[in-house]
Amino acid sequence: MAETSLAARGVHKSFPGVKALADVAIALRPGAIHALLGENGAGKSTLIKIITGVHQPDEGELTLDGRPMRFSGPRDAIAAGIGAVHQERNLIPRFSVGENIGLERLGGGRFGGVDYAALNAEARKWLDVLELDLDPRTPVSELNVAKRQLVEIAKALSLRSRVLLLDEPTASLTPQESQVLFGLLRKLAAEGASLLFVSHKLEEVQEICDEVTVLRDGRNACPSRPMAGLDRQALVRLMIGRNEQIPNWPPRSVEGQPTLLELSGVATALGHSGINLKLRKGEIVGLYGLVGAGRTELAKCILGWRRITAGELRIDGKPRRIGSVAEAIHDFAIGYVSEDRKQEGLILDHSVLENAGIAVWRKLAGRLGFLRDETVRARVGPIIAELEVRTPSLSQTLGHLSGGNQQKVSVAKWLAAQVRILMVDEPSVGIDIKTKAYIHELLRRLADEGAGVLLITSDMPEMITLADRIVVMDDFRIKGEIANSRQYGPMSEAIMAHIHHAAA
Amino acid sequence: MKTPKFMRADWFGPFAIVVVASVGITIFDRPFLSPFNIQILLLATAVNVVVAMSQMIIIAIGQMNLAIGAIGGLAAVCFAGLMQVWSFPPALAAVAALAIGAAAGLANGAIIARTGVSAFIVTLASLSIFKGADLGITRAQPFYGIPASVKAFGNATMFGPIPWLALPAALVIAFMWRLLYRQRIGRYILAVGGNASAAELSGVSIAQTTLWAHGLSGFLAALAGVMLVGRLQIGQPSIGDDWLILSFAAPVIGGAVLAGGHVSVFGTLFGVIIVAIITQALVIFQIDPYFVQVVLGLLILWTVGVNRLRELRLAGG
Amino acid sequence: MKDSGAVRPHEAMTSGARARFAGAVLTNEFGLVLLILLFGMLFALGTRGFASPFNLFTLGRIMAINIMIGYSMMVVIVTGGLDLSVGAIGVCAAMFFGWLSQRLGLPLVVTIPGALAMGAALGAVNGQLIVRSGLHSFIITLATMSVFFGFMEFVTRAQAFRGLPPAILAVGRMRYFGYVSPLLLVSAGVGLGLSALYRLTPLGREMLAAGANPAAAELSGVRVKRVIVQCHMLAGALAGIAALMAIARTGAAIPSMAGDLGQDWLLPAFLGPVLGGALLSGGRVSVLGAFLGSALVSELTNGLLQFRVGEFWVQTYLGLLLMAAVLIDLARRKLVARLGVAP
Repeated sequence: MAETSLAARGVHKSFPGVKALADVAIALRPGAIHALLGENGAGKSTLIKIITGVHQPDEGELTLDGRPMRFSGPRDAIAAGIGAVHQERNLIPRFSVGENIGLERLGGGRFGGVDYAALNAEARKWLDVLELDLDPRTPVSELNVAKRQLVEIAKALSLRSRVLLLDEPTASLTPQESQVLFGLLRKLAAEGASLLFVSHKLEEVQEICDEVTVLRDGRNACPSRPMAGLDRQALVRLMIGRNEQIPNWPPRSVEGQPTLLELSGVATALGHSGINLKLRKGEIVGLYGLVGAGRTELAKCILGWRRITAGELRIDGKPRRIGSVAEAIHDFAIGYVSEDRKQEGLILDHSVLENAGIAVWRKLAGRLGFLRDETVRARVGPIIAELEVRTPSLSQTLGHLSGGNQQKVSVAKWLAAQVRILMVDEPSVGIDIKTKAYIHELLRRLADEGAGVLLITSDMPEMITLADRIVVMDDFRIKGEIANSRQYGPMSEAIMAHIHHAAA
Repeated sequence: MKTPKFMRADWFGPFAIVVVASVGITIFDRPFLSPFNIQILLLATAVNVVVAMSQMIIIAIGQMNLAIGAIGGLAAVCFAGLMQVWSFPPALAAVAALAIGAAAGLANGAIIARTGVSAFIVTLASLSIFKGADLGITRAQPFYGIPASVKAFGNATMFGPIPWLALPAALVIAFMWRLLYRQRIGRYILAVGGNASAAELSGVSIAQTTLWAHGLSGFLAALAGVMLVGRLQIGQPSIGDDWLILSFAAPVIGGAVLAGGHVSVFGTLFGVIIVAIITQALVIFQIDPYFVQVVLGLLILWTVGVNRLRELRLAGG
Repeated sequence: MKDSGAVRPHEAMTSGARARFAGAVLTNEFGLVLLILLFGMLFALGTRGFASPFNLFTLGRIMAINIMIGYSMMVVIVTGGLDLSVGAIGVCAAMFFGWLSQRLGLPLVVTIPGALAMGAALGAVNGQLIVRSGLHSFIITLATMSVFFGFMEFVTRAQAFRGLPPAILAVGRMRYFGYVSPLLLVSAGVGLGLSALYRLTPLGREMLAAGANPAAAELSGVRVKRVIVQCHMLAGALAGIAALMAIARTGAAIPSMAGDLGQDWLLPAFLGPVLGGALLSGGRVSVLGAFLGSALVSELTNGLLQFRVGEFWVQTYLGLLLMAAVLIDLARRKLVARLGVAP
């Protein structure tokens, strides 16, 4: 079966301030399981949204069996035979399996009721295809995550989907459940469906996918091609690339500097265990891992957002219990630049001044508890200017700024708060190259001036540029630690080795 | 031993409370379950059930309707006024009143569906509009000229202690049960309340479903108003003023999830009965009747808290 | 009701003076001032009684109370919540004042703060329930409205307090220049205080942040839960002030002063802030807007009555006004977004 089922060619898509996809192409074959790979910000989710009809491409075309397609919304894509099983569940929790599967075709007319017997019988057909031994009358809310996902697949099949897109399908499955799923996917492929498998778990992708397309920075890192001949190293290399110049910065030493932050044997409410981490004054420690490794979660636990359940956390050598985010920020001078800039990092409806000053309002207030805008401006203004944030004024609504400038404000907030420990999470996602370089210099300068920086990024060049030491994380545990020689080749090999050992 | 299925149903808890409460009160006060008292309870319950169903259908779609009291009051005075001032026969006046209620509900639904303004604000505004119309038409004076047949329907009994008023109430219960569990539009209402985006992806029109839900809600509110005119034997403009709390309390006690997607018809029915029993009991034991409000409020807080814990546990699965 | 119009930064923004003018004219507050003046002229010319000192005095007192009620709700809306119990809390504060004054004979220096403290305490109950349960403020305050009011009626046996200190009644009757009531000055003063809160204090700024994006605020060091409780306490105290004004106006503390369960206060409570441009989703405030909004509503009510519209129909017109105001504001926001003028 060599013909193409779903294909996209020359796809371009821009959003305000950032170009998400540039000249991207992908081609699926019937009977093949096709992997779509790419790190955060590579453009995977934008491509998925275009395929499922949520967005329309600015340029380029989508074809199905050679016929050009234009989807004005998700239902057009569904009608064309493209089924999707997303990360969030698209099921009605209190409805039965049968009713969820048959929701589009409830029938019933004005006075006749819904024929549940027929509905369940129809559902039964599709459950059988998937070899799911479920009573269609079971409410979906009583099923575990694995079964709910299978119900969604059954639903997609019942809508005569010939292209099935699965977005991180094994995210919440046990290894056994994943194997059951894979068996099913192979069966569906054998029957002629085209499957698009989106995942960051490389071992799985290698196990089950016949073909692959890798995206990086909004472009194809490789065209759609068979998996044969690509080992894990090659895949990761495609995903993370090495098109950046590592700046030739003088080496730094943090010997003899006091330890700002230390974690010993720390376990958290979010699932970490045995975490040992040290951050010295003036040091940049990188926390590397692929998506899902638990790095963001660790940062948030350090920040006091969720509890540390075992082990010890020391600040400046003294053991501390951080009970709340406010305590971490105001009492211990810890800051966190969130990876989710728009939802968690910034208040887009508020002005630049309000966003940049939020962490210091309490500190800047005068004796009577009053705080004038001028006072905030005096503290925050110079920082905004120094960071070269392009904004008409400090009263500009933050949502109107470009992504890069928004990120600068996000960092400015912590500079204004004079944090001593700054955790930075995926700082360059969706940011233009120039701002990215600027932020790198900024972080380095911050460390030079005595702060400790914990850098979380899945961008390998960024990591090797900035970090003095790189800690590799996977599956909510620390897998290894390497000092940074700043030689890209050897470093990336060494880091990969740690990741692969983890995955093995 | 795993709890048998019927005991885990939403209605079982309230039902058990009704039984226990009735038995308990009878021990202290023999006449509680006398035919006369049962008639009083049923008369109170009959109207309140319809009120509760009017709100329940909006809770099902995940919204709230602050205007049911105002719609009910407006329909009530229209019903009474048409009969007194224009000598309409009762059946025709009732149909007109119900049509007015449905139209009012549809207007709410249309604005919510078309503009995306929250149901809270839309029904708050329409609450004032309809209440004002209610007062304006009547100049705050009740209509006294209610035909004897209507008065009888509102108070007489069919057989034994069962009043005629229980008949429309029973029909409404049966209708709601069938609508929400067997009819497509009812399933759509629950689907939109349960997961609106998933429902939309499956072709459910949120706008149309909203219209249906609010239209039905207005219709039921009007029905309750008409029934109340019969029971009170006057067309009181203040009808509906005290419906708001009860309209939420009963469905919530019955296990409704305020975020939408799950309600229990029989749970709501028993919720209404519980409220009626509490009110009666407070009178019997000569506890201040003002205490009813306090109890209702506390009951809502308690059950909403319990329901939420249950939802959280379910979502984790 | 999130603003749906996304402005593209790379599109040309209307620049300079033209933008500022457009921005100023398209503001809500300007529109409200215009409407107040327009309707004022209409009523003054069209009726005989509107512009009389007595009527303006009466209007001023009612305005003051409505503005206060509007503030109480505004403070909660800013943090993204709703407070249905504003009337119930007000009545409780009023009756508490009556009890302290008449039954215990305490002086005004004690009873007035006492009433405000009662309001704040009840607000704290709301705030704690909301924050601890994680439930929406709608259902919590629907329940507490019932609990507070019922408890109040139970305790007072629905008896009014009519033997109140003459001082407070005198304030209700005082007139400056023949037609300005001191109550109106109090409302204006409180308004200035609230403006100062939001513009000049960390707490006020944090309230706005918590309303606009609670997750981001939390991760930026704002103690969101504490802020929400404090905001409800403030709302309760403001409701208490409104209740005291109502007592000053009528001369007695009556349990039914705000209607059944206090629900008569709900409409003015929302009309003011909504007309004033508050977003129900929170994060933005216009104290001046709420002031003008409540003023406009009071003026309209008074004017309609002067026109012999019939007091019973007034409520209908107010409901239509609320509906119209919300829709017009929606349209205005879309227009502003499309023009690229920063709101």
